[in-house]
Amino acid sequence: MQSHGKVLIVDDEISIRRALHNTLQGMGFAVDDAATGEAAMDLVGKAQYDVLLLDINMPGIGGIRACREIRRSLPRLAILMLTVRDSEEDKVAALDAGADDYITKPFHVRELAARIRAAVRRSCASTTDPDAIIRIGNIELDPARRLVRKAGGPVHLTPKEFDLLRYLMAHAGLPMMHARLLHAVWGPEYGGELEYLRTFVRQLRKKIEDDPAEPAYLLTDSHIGYRFAEATPEPVGDRT
Amino acid sequence: MDGKIELVTDVATQPAAGTRANRWTNYRRAARVVLGIWRGCFAGLAAVALVTFGAFRLHLNLSTTGSLYFLIVVMVSVIWGFWEASVTSLVAVNCLNYFFVPPVLTWRVSDPQNWVALATFEITALTVSRLSTRVQGQARVEARQRMEIEKLYELSRRILLLDRRTIGPQVVALIQEIFGTESAALFDATLARLDATGSRANDLEQLARGAYFQDSTLEGQSAHASAHVLRLGSRPVGAIAICGPEVGRLTMASIASLAAIALERARSFETESRAEAARQTEQLRTAVLDSLAHAFKTPLTAIRTASSGLLEAGRLSRDDLEMAALIDERAEHLNRLTTELLQMAKIDAAEVRLRRERISVLTLIEDAVERHREQLHGRRIDVSDSASYLDVWGDRAILGMALDQFIDNASKYSTPGSSISVIAGENLGEIVIAVHNDGPPIQPADRERIFERFYRAEDSRHRAPGTGLGLSIAKKAAEAHDGRTWVISGEPGGTTFFFALPRGIKAEIRRQSGAVARQGSDR
Repeated sequence: MQSHGKVLIVDDEISIRRALHNTLQGMGFAVDDAATGEAAMDLVGKAQYDVLLLDINMPGIGGIRACREIRRSLPRLAILMLTVRDSEEDKVAALDAGADDYITKPFHVRELAARIRAAVRRSCASTTDPDAIIRIGNIELDPARRLVRKAGGPVHLTPKEFDLLRYLMAHAGLPMMHARLLHAVWGPEYGGELEYLRTFVRQLRKKIEDDPAEPAYLLTDSHIGYRFAEATPEPVGDRT
Repeated sequence: MDGKIELVTDVATQPAAGTRANRWTNYRRAARVVLGIWRGCFAGLAAVALVTFGAFRLHLNLSTTGSLYFLIVVMVSVIWGFWEASVTSLVAVNCLNYFFVPPVLTWRVSDPQNWVALATFEITALTVSRLSTRVQGQARVEARQRMEIEKLYELSRRILLLDRRTIGPQVVALIQEIFGTESAALFDATLARLDATGSRANDLEQLARGAYFQDSTLEGQSAHASAHVLRLGSRPVGAIAICGPEVGRLTMASIASLAAIALERARSFETESRAEAARQTEQLRTAVLDSLAHAFKTPLTAIRTASSGLLEAGRLSRDDLEMAALIDERAEHLNRLTTELLQMAKIDAAEVRLRRERISVLTLIEDAVERHREQLHGRRIDVSDSASYLDVWGDRAILGMALDQFIDNASKYSTPGSSISVIAGENLGEIVIAVHNDGPPIQPADRERIFERFYRAEDSRHRAPGTGLGLSIAKKAAEAHDGRTWVISGEPGGTTFFFALPRGIKAEIRRQSGAVARQGSDR
């Protein structure tokens, strides 16, 4: 992973801004902060950032609208939304507005750092070769040859299963909404066929997971969608 | 209630107290009729006398005079009526015989043809007057009916415009204004409220109340007072009484129907505004809960960011690290407590209105399991296949909270690496979800109390972190859906928590999906 990036923290609460500022700086990020969505829109126009941490609930235009506006002008910027309410509505609204991920307050900094890394990787990945081989854990996906290996052995997938897995692995660590997956894999006329998606995910889990009942790679984001694990899952032997 | 308004067609019953008064009224009415007849007869006879005198002096012939008499009879019948015309025609035919049929000035008739003429005159006069009276009577009835229909129309139009808050006084005032009644009274049975206007308000109030309680139409002591029961469908909802100029029976029934509709409209408006008030209360409550969440979680976020930041930075001494870890852990505990308190408040609020939808039990369980993946620490969760065939009709968020608590509880108290099983099934009219773990038994004395707010069993306090709210949240969630929670625990079986929702909920789903299927086939 590249060494650290530049982060813009946007939160109306000064105590949170200061705590995040110091902590992220301590972790090696370059940090700026802003108190409102308007100020953030101003700043992202002037300097180049890798990640935007954007609070949803702010006075003024608020986080969701700021996210939508910024996403329009900066499609590559990694945006993470911070929300107090652990509600599906907020998360869906955040992802709909173009955020890459969300995190519920209060959070452990380690988790935040992991999400930031995943989001940064996504924004870099889109500039790299789309046919590059993706390796996560012991799963290896070769887009050019349409091959999937698990611990070295080949895994046989149907074309749609392959497309779904490829999309999820290309965005590893980030939540992918149901509708977005259906759009990307099946086509723009799909969007509401949740049962369809569920069936494919179940099939995929049977093929790539050690224990389909305890998925380590293909994770569910309750009511939102699915997320491919970004870090190497611990080997099973270590758990007991 | 089917909302249909039935016309009231009760058989009239006369109260005994009104009998004597009615007899006097009848006498007076008969006298008025007799007097009216005399007036008509007198006018008819005067006209006949005048024509007789003129015709006799002018030596008019039999047929001309007969035509003039005929004209008089017809006019009398048009102006006064049949009886007056009959008397006039009899006198006229005698005058014709005496003064104009030869031999004149005698009652004798020499030519038999003149008998025929006289008889024809009399029969024609009687027939024509009869017909004209009947036509006139019909015209009068029609005019009255038309007027009453116009009034009814006006009443119905203006009832729609009434302020829907206190409808009673407005309805009686309207009836009095439009129908020109002396008094009017309305008894609203639901509110047990009486409204009356006019000089005889007291009598009419009694009459209206009497009609409602006897469930029949009543006639009042005075001639034109009567009371009708108001009905919606077949259900009596009140009574109306009016007193004044006579109103047709059907019109009275229609007034009663309109009044019943007015009452019902006011009632549904009231229900609607009550529902609106409940909705606003709920919105307010949600807003308060959201701002509370914000107020608590903002400082907690700053604390946790700082504490976990210190832990990650790796610049602290061993003792400092320990203290930072303590702050971090306690802040997280406080966060969990806040979350659960807010969840509890949300369920309390949800009793006002659950956002019910059809949910697959399997999805419900899978989602809850997914949310706890990180804290399972190698414990396996087995979900029974039967869950995939079951649906519940409930609030997804709230049922999810309940299952969260059960799974959270099972993962806290079972040994790492053991398995937790979630079983769903249908039993004795309920859909039951059971979460089983092999953890230590819960003391019999604690089994009821662990579902109480903030209660924690003595031996659990040292085993696992908790707020004492979790199981009470599950219980509240079940109760909000008319369901229940309980626990079975003991050696060697482990502990099983149960969550049951009544099956009536499932019947609801069937009915709904049936309706959807029908709609589909209709298309």
